[in-house]
Amino acid sequence: MDIILACVQYFVDLGAAVMLPIVIFIVALALGQSIGKALKSGISIGIGFIGIGLVIGLMLNNLAPAAKAMSANFGISMNIIDIGWPGSAPMTWASNIALVAIPVAIIVNIVMLTLRMTRVVNIDIWNIWHFAFTGAIINIATGSYILGIVGVALHAAYAYKIGDWFAPVTEKYFGLEGIAMPHGTTGWFAPISVPINWILDRIPVIRNIDINLEHFQKFGAVGDPSIMGGIMGIIIGILAGYDLRGILTLGIQMAAVIILMPQVVKHIMAGLMPVSEKAKSALQKHFKNSTFYIGLDCALLLGDPAVVAASLLFIPVTIFIAAIVPGNQILPFGDLPTIGFFIAMAVGVHNGNLFRTLITGSVVMFMTLFIANQMIGLQTTLAANAGQLKAGISQVGSLDQGGSPVTYILTQIMHNTNMMGLLIVGGIYIFCVICTWIWHKKQVAELNSEKNTESDTTVSAH
Amino acid sequence: MKKIIVACGGAVATSTVAATAIKELCQKNNIPVEILQIRMTEIEGNLEGVDLIVTTMRIKKDFGKPYVNGMPFLSGLNVEKTEQAILSVLQG
Repeated sequence: MDIILACVQYFVDLGAAVMLPIVIFIVALALGQSIGKALKSGISIGIGFIGIGLVIGLMLNNLAPAAKAMSANFGISMNIIDIGWPGSAPMTWASNIALVAIPVAIIVNIVMLTLRMTRVVNIDIWNIWHFAFTGAIINIATGSYILGIVGVALHAAYAYKIGDWFAPVTEKYFGLEGIAMPHGTTGWFAPISVPINWILDRIPVIRNIDINLEHFQKFGAVGDPSIMGGIMGIIIGILAGYDLRGILTLGIQMAAVIILMPQVVKHIMAGLMPVSEKAKSALQKHFKNSTFYIGLDCALLLGDPAVVAASLLFIPVTIFIAAIVPGNQILPFGDLPTIGFFIAMAVGVHNGNLFRTLITGSVVMFMTLFIANQMIGLQTTLAANAGQLKAGISQVGSLDQGGSPVTYILTQIMHNTNMMGLLIVGGIYIFCVICTWIWHKKQVAELNSEKNTESDTTVSAH
Repeated sequence: MKKIIVACGGAVATSTVAATAIKELCQKNNIPVEILQIRMTEIEGNLEGVDLIVTTMRIKKDFGKPYVNGMPFLSGLNVEKTEQAILSVLQG
């Protein structure tokens, strides 16, 4: 027994960059891939982990001291770097929950489909990392692997319901027929836009404000991530009181981080392809009837011009909110180029109205930052377990997924450390979810009556 | 050598699926390609010498280059039609 444990421990101690390639190689072979392909997938995931280690190192070693100097200069406390989802996803895949999370999420999906509790057939395997993050955080907080898996299952079940509830928006506003977004980021915040929309509809004058997106298009160049990263670096360098050389260096380093991050993280995705392709084809074979939605990555929403405009707008807005959230320690950075994930569905619920998106998004970012601060300790442990904590950096945080109320509420229920936080965040969030559920019922009724009037000669059997 | 931009929101997940599919398609048809996998917001700055743009979401903007929607590579519906569209741009 001791020998087996020692072997397992040795294997885990190899680190994500060595262990996961071996695991993926074996899994890919078991799923019927050729040796060559399985080997390539395995090595690819290893490349991703080596690469993200380098880029996170570049970011933390240079941005963190600057953020500290900036905070000292201005008496603010934003000295912990938001590593963003490109940082959070790899450390989640490296956790002991992640590979089990994929089959768990798929089984929950199949059970719910069979019981007709959802219409979403989720083939978006990559984003299972959001559920796995919740599971991994619960595992760290409670020390219980079983509770971690329960967390994955609950988060997954909730995400599929979100997919159902917002499928009418996905279809009507974004024009993606038959597609749902059971996604960890766009998914969790979407319910917040529903009560806000309801309230705004009832305030005279304000309900008539509709800001068009054409005003934002001329800022196109700033939207380019390399330019944005450079500007961020330069501004932080100036605020940190660096000399010209230091300022320019930080500018180029941060531009490099923003551009290199996806370039290295994509290899992790490529390594997961044999698993995700297999899961996709199996799910499609069994549930290809038109009464199902196909669950896909909400990256599909980020192409909408209003979402693009809102994403640009929320880069400065998020930094401003970070400055006013009481006690905030997190400097938004890693999530800024894809801040659109947080607000994409709100754009749809608000029918492209940027004024309303600004209000919902501000509430979302405030809540995200508030939660992300409380998650710093747990996320730092997750980072340390994945071997991604750099020398001299004691803490990390993230907006996506560290700032998710779903993760927060589930973790706090299973291991309560902040009753007030749980009651406030839980209360607000559950209120929003109930509003969403009522709103969804109405939407379905409206869609049905529209369809009935279109074809009133058809006799409905229901 | 044909140059193809494959873009999505974060240049990680969906674009990797599409890029892999396109790479295999081109190999099968003996078309040498260079694939540039980037975020959608980076398309504008990378247009030089590009023969084809594929995005995994719908874009409403016209970049003045041949465009194919790569969503079928994710959903698995109409993949053949999309492959034909890509080949006709690259071989035409």
